[in-house]
Amino acid sequence: MQEAMQEAALQRQNGNSMSLIGEDEALIAAALKGSAHAWEKLVKRYESKIYNHGLRLTGNSSDAMDLMQEVFLGVYRNLHRFRGDAKFSSWIFRIAHNKAVDMNRRKRLMTSPPKFSEEDEGDEFEKFPGKANLEPENRLGNSEQNVRVLKMLDELNSDQRSIVELKIFQSLTFDEIAGLQDISENTVKTRFYSALKKLKVVSEEQNVLS
Amino acid sequence: MSCPKTDYLLQEYFSEDLSAVARNELDRHLTDCAHCNAELESVLLVQQDLQQWQEQRVPHWDRGRELFRQEHRIDRPVSRFWLSWQWLPTAASLVMLCVLLFNVHVVSNDSGFSVSFAGSSVPNANLNVQLAEFEQAQRFEMQQLVTRVETRQDSNSVQLLQAVMEQAQQSTADSFDQMYAYFEQQRLLDLQDMRAGYEQLVDSDYETIRSLQQLVNYVGYQSDVR
Repeated sequence: MQEAMQEAALQRQNGNSMSLIGEDEALIAAALKGSAHAWEKLVKRYESKIYNHGLRLTGNSSDAMDLMQEVFLGVYRNLHRFRGDAKFSSWIFRIAHNKAVDMNRRKRLMTSPPKFSEEDEGDEFEKFPGKANLEPENRLGNSEQNVRVLKMLDELNSDQRSIVELKIFQSLTFDEIAGLQDISENTVKTRFYSALKKLKVVSEEQNVLS
Repeated sequence: MSCPKTDYLLQEYFSEDLSAVARNELDRHLTDCAHCNAELESVLLVQQDLQQWQEQRVPHWDRGRELFRQEHRIDRPVSRFWLSWQWLPTAASLVMLCVLLFNVHVVSNDSGFSVSFAGSSVPNANLNVQLAEFEQAQRFEMQQLVTRVETRQDSNSVQLLQAVMEQAQQSTADSFDQMYAYFEQQRLLDLQDMRAGYEQLVDSDYETIRSLQQLVNYVGYQSDVR
């Protein structure tokens, strides 16, 4: 009985996600024909996810906004290339990932790092640049949980941060992440676990301080 | 106590494509090994901490609408509507101009509307009579109203005056009573003072007489001695 109910719920859920995918495709088709309304609806469906993704990756709202706008510009430019082989959400997050990597690279070039000394292990340079002066409290509204999450994520380098984002928040598989980042699955697993270990230390420190 | 397998096993723990056999093996080890179990608990807590993230609202932005419209050369539907009705303001302006130029008069009466041009107003005796009657009725009503207001104002003034006078009388009587009582009191005090003065005077007179008598007696005694 219970199994039957679970199966029905699963089917409903699948049906919902299928209908959402169908809606996405319909909106894309209408947008390609020039419907501004369909385009806007499509953007509204994904803007929050992309913005929050950007917030967690960059750690501040202005960079997150820039990233989101770049992502949707990329989506707009390449919409005609979307074949529907993969889900639209996966496609848009692939664009978001590429844009985030580009932005990271650009920022690193723009912010000239101080001279490398022997005490530095180079880890600082690998963090997302341009956010060093901003404390998480100032970067976001007053959501305590988000400030805490950002403080934790700040301790990771950009590769780890990206993997944690994709694995925990976007629920991608290690295989998918490996494909996105063009690295081996084992490297992804190792980086993910070392990120968790680092976060564990940070979390313990935060608990002691609070 | 540490375990050499911890890192490898926990890396695999989050893997999705682990075979059923490997998953069972992993679960069994995690149940048996306290160190691995504790490590897993702590990283799961971290994962839970991260999942506390609350979706932030997106700040207001254009959503690429303008770009989309420009690229697809889409006019706003509102402007298209106005484009098709663009002649309307011009026509309205022309009509208004004609009305002004030809000095058009539109008059409505019981039998309908009448339009006249160039100031030649339609004679309408009936309207003048109606206006005169209306004026008379208005004047009569105003007169009545003024009379009523005046009467009411008069009665109000009289009442007010009476009240003021009563108040004034009352206060004057009260002050006269107070003044009388004060004078009476002063008079009694003066009388008492005068009586006391007389008594003192009489006493001093008696003293003087007695002294004179003593003096007389003394003088008479001295003359007797000689």
